[in-house]
Amino acid sequence: MAAPDPSSTEPSPAEQRSLLIVEDERALRRLLEYRLGGKYQVRTAAHGREALDVISQHPPDLIVSDIMMPHMDGFALQEALREDKNTRAIPFIFLTAKDDDDSRLKGLREGVDDYITKPFDTEQLLGRIDRLMERTEVFRTHLSAELGRDFSERLMPHSLPEPPGWRTFFVSRPHDQGGGDLFAWKEPEPGVFFLTVGDVMGKGLQAKFYAYTFLSYIRGTIHAMLAETRSPATLMSRINEMLLSDEVVEETFASLLMVRWDANEGTVTYANAGHCRPLLLSGTKESHVVEDSDLVLGLEEGAAFHDYTLSLGTGEALVLYTDGLTEQPLESGRMLGEQGVLQIADSARAAEDPPSKILSAIEPNTRHGDFDDDILMFWLQREASS
Amino acid sequence: MSFDVSSRADQVVTIDIGDALDFRNASDFKALCQEEADAGGRHFVLDFSGTGILDSTGLGAIFSLYRKVSPEDGEVVFAAVSKPVEVVVQLTRTYKVFQQFDDAAEARAALVEEEGGAPSPASPGRP
Repeated sequence: MAAPDPSSTEPSPAEQRSLLIVEDERALRRLLEYRLGGKYQVRTAAHGREALDVISQHPPDLIVSDIMMPHMDGFALQEALREDKNTRAIPFIFLTAKDDDDSRLKGLREGVDDYITKPFDTEQLLGRIDRLMERTEVFRTHLSAELGRDFSERLMPHSLPEPPGWRTFFVSRPHDQGGGDLFAWKEPEPGVFFLTVGDVMGKGLQAKFYAYTFLSYIRGTIHAMLAETRSPATLMSRINEMLLSDEVVEETFASLLMVRWDANEGTVTYANAGHCRPLLLSGTKESHVVEDSDLVLGLEEGAAFHDYTLSLGTGEALVLYTDGLTEQPLESGRMLGEQGVLQIADSARAAEDPPSKILSAIEPNTRHGDFDDDILMFWLQREASS
Repeated sequence: MSFDVSSRADQVVTIDIGDALDFRNASDFKALCQEEADAGGRHFVLDFSGTGILDSTGLGAIFSLYRKVSPEDGEVVFAAVSKPVEVVVQLTRTYKVFQQFDDAAEARAALVEEEGGAPSPASPGRP
């Protein structure tokens, strides 16, 4: 669902980068804690062994460590961290004394990200910490964006159903701040298609991951059950029971629209579990929101789902979408809303590429000239001449 | 963003949702609910007066609360539902699960009555 105004997002304390200072000299430890505490969440340890305890409880984003310490010195600490795959990659800055011998220093250069010689200027230390933190941050953001894109691609189809007498369009624009939108289709018998559009609740990578898991399950369920049922509602009930009983997806909630589209007959039978309601666009009758729907998935055991059937006449179109569209904030501060989308979609009915026309009609009215969330739309239309 | 528990009595916890329940503060909300449930809270009244944003992550946090309390016959009810919240509730059809009341006091009274107990005076969490 909609991502609220990003400009009002403040980093919560949970997002603040954390730092571990390992130093046996109490005065220096306190000084560093005080100077770095304004910017980072700082924890301290008096020697290597204590540091390992702290790290196992609260893995830091960066470690600043002295070398000469009682119980376990800096070298031993660093070695212990390198042996563990969970801690190997934590950036490490050594505080070295002037009289540490050169050969040891040379060795340590290989394993640490930086070192700074005592006595040092705290501003200099702060600068190095900032730089290292920034570097890991850039890497992290890059990696999440890459993973996010990868998941998004896997959640979308590579081809579209294209039965004669119909035209279909699909558009998907994943957003970094988006969530778990998904779309899939299957043709169990010639000219009969099962379409699935859904949105797994939550934001970012986690939602995409759950959406991916969930979609695999949906595919499996449809595949296994199509031999015994043609009813989207029956499939929906099965998926709801799964969400409520499977441990991996237990805390997953999703809105889902399952549609059996019979292109031979010109009918659409759907079950809607709390998902954005489809739009029926008609040239002859009044275009409207297809209202009948049931409870969102994953909430209530034994929740009832129903099949509803529509017929599509020549030239009529059915639009399936996710809430990135309806919940898009406009310049006016209001959300576009269901009626807003209906109106724009209706005027795009005869366009060559209706979804693109819809998006380009909305885009200039958004606050940042771009959408704030994932955009997903599937358009199916009976050709006027058939 | 944090949440205020505006009253706590007869196993009924009232939480003032404030401006927004969304992906930014949903985990705070979850933590608070867990704390209240551990401390004996069984029914939850969520006060939405003045709530402008309820997104899917926020709604998911409410669903988690419901999943947590419902096996113990606990209830989650909505009070003073604002227009943006109403839109989400309609779309997801969750009004079938979360009963709605005009205000938090009415919601508390209904929950206490349902329990069959005489209401004890609600302890105000804040003036």
